[in-house]
Amino acid sequence: MASLSEEVLLVVKRVRQRKQDGTLYLMAERIAWGPEGKDRFTVSHLYADIRCQKISPDGKAKIQLQLILHTGESTTFHFSNGSTALKDRDATKELLQQLLPKFKKKANKELEEKNRMLQEDPVLFQLYKDLVVSQVISAEEFWANRLSLNTVEHSLSNNSKQEVGISAAFLADIRPQTDGCNGLRYNLTSDIIESIFRTYPTVKQKYAENVPHNLTEKEFWTRFFQSHYFHRDRISTGQQDIFSECAKQDEKGLNSMVTQGVKNPMVDLLSLEDKTLDEGYGTATVPTTSNSSNKSLRENSNSAIIKRFNHHSAMVLAAGLRKAEAPSDQASETSSTDGNSRDSDFFQLPLKKVKLQESIEYDDLQGDSGRKTIALNLKKSDRYSHGPIPLQSQHYTTSQDIINSISIIQHEMRNYKPRLTQVMSSNAASSAITALSPGGLLMQGGAQQTINQLVPTDVQIELKHLYTAAGELLRHFWSCFPVNTPFLEDKLMGHLEEMLQAAYSKFQVWQTRRMMRKT
Amino acid sequence: MKLNIEGLLVYFPYDYIYPEQYSYMLELKRTLDAKGHGVLEMPSGTGKTISLLSLIVAYQKAYPLEVTKLVYCSRTVPEIEKVVEELRKLMDYYAKQTGVKNDFLALALSSRKNLCIHPEVSSLRFGKEVDGKCHSLTASYIRAQHHSNPCQPVCQFFEEFDAVGRQVPIPPGIFNLDDLKDFGRRKGWCPYFLARYAILHANIVVYSYHYLLDPKIADLVSKELAKKSVVVFDEAHNIDNVCIDSMSVNITRRTLDRCQTNVETLQNTISRIKETDAAKLREEYMRLVEGLKEANVARETDIYLSNPVLPDEILQEAVPGSIRTAEHFVGFIKRFLEYLKARLRIHHVVQESAPQFLKDIYEKVCIDRKPLRFCAERLRSLLRTLEIADIADFSAITLISHFATLVSTYSKGNLYDYDFHQKTPTIANPVLHFSCMDPSIAIKPVFGRFQSVIITSGTLSPLDIYPRILDFRPVTMASFTMTLARTCLCPLIVGRGNDQVAMTSKFETREDFAVIRNYGNLLLEMSAIVPDGIVAFFTSYIYMENIVASWYEQGILENIQRNKLIFIETQDAAETSMALEKYQEACENGRGAILLSVARGKVSEGIDFVHHFGRAVIMFGVPYVYTQSRILKARLEYLRDQFQIRENDFLTFDAMRHAAQCVGRAIRGKTDYGLMIFADKRYARADKRGKLPRWIQEHLTDGSLNLTIDETVQLSKHFLRQMAQPFRREDQLGLSLLTLEQLQSEDMLQKIAQIAQQA
Repeated sequence: MASLSEEVLLVVKRVRQRKQDGTLYLMAERIAWGPEGKDRFTVSHLYADIRCQKISPDGKAKIQLQLILHTGESTTFHFSNGSTALKDRDATKELLQQLLPKFKKKANKELEEKNRMLQEDPVLFQLYKDLVVSQVISAEEFWANRLSLNTVEHSLSNNSKQEVGISAAFLADIRPQTDGCNGLRYNLTSDIIESIFRTYPTVKQKYAENVPHNLTEKEFWTRFFQSHYFHRDRISTGQQDIFSECAKQDEKGLNSMVTQGVKNPMVDLLSLEDKTLDEGYGTATVPTTSNSSNKSLRENSNSAIIKRFNHHSAMVLAAGLRKAEAPSDQASETSSTDGNSRDSDFFQLPLKKVKLQESIEYDDLQGDSGRKTIALNLKKSDRYSHGPIPLQSQHYTTSQDIINSISIIQHEMRNYKPRLTQVMSSNAASSAITALSPGGLLMQGGAQQTINQLVPTDVQIELKHLYTAAGELLRHFWSCFPVNTPFLEDKLMGHLEEMLQAAYSKFQVWQTRRMMRKT
Repeated sequence: MKLNIEGLLVYFPYDYIYPEQYSYMLELKRTLDAKGHGVLEMPSGTGKTISLLSLIVAYQKAYPLEVTKLVYCSRTVPEIEKVVEELRKLMDYYAKQTGVKNDFLALALSSRKNLCIHPEVSSLRFGKEVDGKCHSLTASYIRAQHHSNPCQPVCQFFEEFDAVGRQVPIPPGIFNLDDLKDFGRRKGWCPYFLARYAILHANIVVYSYHYLLDPKIADLVSKELAKKSVVVFDEAHNIDNVCIDSMSVNITRRTLDRCQTNVETLQNTISRIKETDAAKLREEYMRLVEGLKEANVARETDIYLSNPVLPDEILQEAVPGSIRTAEHFVGFIKRFLEYLKARLRIHHVVQESAPQFLKDIYEKVCIDRKPLRFCAERLRSLLRTLEIADIADFSAITLISHFATLVSTYSKGNLYDYDFHQKTPTIANPVLHFSCMDPSIAIKPVFGRFQSVIITSGTLSPLDIYPRILDFRPVTMASFTMTLARTCLCPLIVGRGNDQVAMTSKFETREDFAVIRNYGNLLLEMSAIVPDGIVAFFTSYIYMENIVASWYEQGILENIQRNKLIFIETQDAAETSMALEKYQEACENGRGAILLSVARGKVSEGIDFVHHFGRAVIMFGVPYVYTQSRILKARLEYLRDQFQIRENDFLTFDAMRHAAQCVGRAIRGKTDYGLMIFADKRYARADKRGKLPRWIQEHLTDGSLNLTIDETVQLSKHFLRQMAQPFRREDQLGLSLLTLEQLQSEDMLQKIAQIAQQA
């Protein structure tokens, strides 16, 4: 067999494919099928390529399993081992069910992304056909520096698809069930896991660090549910808990949020009070200095719960907003620069004004004219009303000029009297018209017929494709400089030259064909 | 629009007016005409501020000699800024209508923290630090030193202001805090001192209560305000507590220790000065022999607002000989300090009145009442003479001296009390509370000096209690209702759960699981039907903590989270601010949120929940003050003896004003709407219900007095569905919103006359 070195997870005999009997193998990274008695696989799919599996309904006579690939193709296996067919099929299904999601995540997204890009951009598609399909460069190379630049674009253009927020109660949805023998069972779905990861990035980080090399996935989640981190009323005691660090980081995050302060001055409780009483005045009991030390455990856990709730809600809210905020941050250049908290005073002013105005407004007392409009803020109103003007005409016509000239024209029109005695003779007029119409004496121009009149369209299209393909190759070529990694050097020395050669030969072919056609 | 209020032309900067605004202005005008004080209650969100400003500004313009100044006091910085913005709107309208350029000067005054533009000083976070740093750059002798030694840092903004700022008056206009800062930056003048100077000739001053009510600050800032001023206390429902706070003193061992070091510093400074500059001390001595003549003359000629820390009696006489020289005075303070230390060494709670204390101190250390009285003034004089740089360092000794003066001056109605904060069983931390029982002491100078003082708020019910506890005689007392085209507020009293268990925060049953569960169910049910924001108030912080914990254990919070996000007020202000902002964000983006908060807390006092930020307010329990505290008991006793106010009446009044304050946060105007849910069966009783403001009481029908949770949900659903219908101006017009023509019709004026209910 070709790949005995691969780990075979499941072998199912007597599986028919295209009316041929054979054996189905499920391996670590792919699923394969070989016909009876032969030594090679005729069907082999990487799990990453599989979009989903479908099975025939239970009552049906034929027991089948269909794999649908991302490309849209599908392969159907027919389990024909009489009595155990159903069992075989289910075993296969179960295993696939476990295997597929592992590969799905990364493959899926990329593939879909590539697919989408190719579909949306015909030029790119053509380029892909020219370069990849005709094997000038490999697909990976083609995508290598495209995907990265496209993710940004993607997030910008993809605003139409709305991100679904997270339910605040996702942790509550994991109802523990007693399994009868002194244990608890938690049901986790991938949705919940994603919610947890999105809301608590620290847990995600822990997951990435520990799974799978330190812990299995199951162990990880078991620990998660055992940790005080999940049970918010428990006070952290053990240091060995991997989640105690998460809690610490959360604490830090919360503190930094608190110290950052609030943007809206109307809800800033710190600056609400104008003049606090001096220390020692007032009837309120003196705040005890040693607050935390002498609180009872119960009180401590209570306030921990309250803190956690605030934090949890803030995180859920932030998880919902994170996506939306990223591009807007880039759009408003100023907001990203105010890392300095001292400056925030200046940035705050407009917001404060707006909030103040909002709070004193009585919209029902105001007359109708008070409808809110957004004022158009023009830096140069001239440019707005005249549109762009070529630079060489240095002086702009002002609106006054325009009004003047209109009035002059109007004036002239009013005084216009046709002088019929001095018009051209009809002969002269018609000859002038013929001279000016297309093909006439005056319209022949420089006789420079453009290429689109000389060359037939198919050749033109071909040339265009060649041009863009060559451009792409050149881009690859130049992007190799400066040559600072061995990979780049390799690329440059080895196949880029080949590629350019290939491109050149293609051009050559086109050239000769064109010549041939011409002659 | 231009209004005719009993012959006074009033410019009102809107095209429409609420009937109650007109009525409010009528009452206000009558108060000003009578040159008396007034108590006016009008629901929040009916444009109280703009009515006040329109009328008083019109009055000032019409009778510039009768009313020279408007002093508008509000509670929080955002409130102050809001008032100035409304004023700006009014003045713009004046300018547009009359075509005359505005010649009014109006400005806001706030603490240095909000006004400082010095790059180093303003970067400090806390108000106290800013004050201290500012002082160390602007004190007079620091500046004198700067003359001889240019290395000594001074504040260039203050120098600039001092050099030219006083001669050039600030131009007429409306100056909010930010405008003052801008102006200061442009001119290079210190905005804080500029504002403090400018309030003397400004037409309108907007600042916080403390500038008038706290004697320490009032003496510095507001002393010279003209007598013919109108003073307005807005949001005044808590004014008695502000008064009491500003006159009460707490002394701990730490205070005394710090005071000890202060005394030592004083001693050293005195002996040093004695060697170098004995003339200075002698000069001071002579001044004190002369007596506080200046102050006396000033008070008699009525130039200054009197200061409760500087009682009338001591102005008549010279400082007693025993504390006239600096050393003697320091010795005196030392003796007093030792006495206090001895008192704080006891191990049980003692409660005694001022005369008892004075008697005791006389017997033990032979300190007479008379020199004690002069303590505050004497210390001030000494600190001035000694050129002490950082007054903030001397806060402890200042505190002690104030205590001495207060305790010896106001023997009636004051009381103190040694309280033990037994944090750990072994270490006692005794505190000496000197608490003022009588709020009228602090506010008396204000009533005495200014010709009209208006006390106004959305919740002042019952009206008659304020004149009693503040000891003044108002000429008008009126409560205005809110005219509504649609009932946009829906007060409901929930008395039982679906299992018929009574819901109450009564002390005996507050640990009851059934009650806690029912409260939880109420919130859960409401979270499912109310859109956007819900605010829930608990009676105290500890109560909230306990309930939240048991809701968490019972899984109620998790179920609530399915509907809305949960945010909870904490004792940390910064954390709460963040929670508040996130709460608003969640309401804004449509997710909806619940804010769990505490009555009497910062949120309930200063934050509005307009429109979708608060579609429902739930008041869990009756927010009684903690009745077991000795200070409160003493105060209740005092109220009973002095004003014949029964304990229970006062407690209920206090609880109900806070409850009303909490639920009133949700309604901010007639286009707004909100549910007000009182979750305690005790609200249904007549004595509680009757103390709610009239504008809430009116909408409490008999049918909504003792509801179960299910019934509440039904009623709320109905209400919310109704409110969600479009609400146009035409629906309001003629009923709760008037044009000028409608206002002038005869029967409308008759209707308006009924809006105000005289107490």
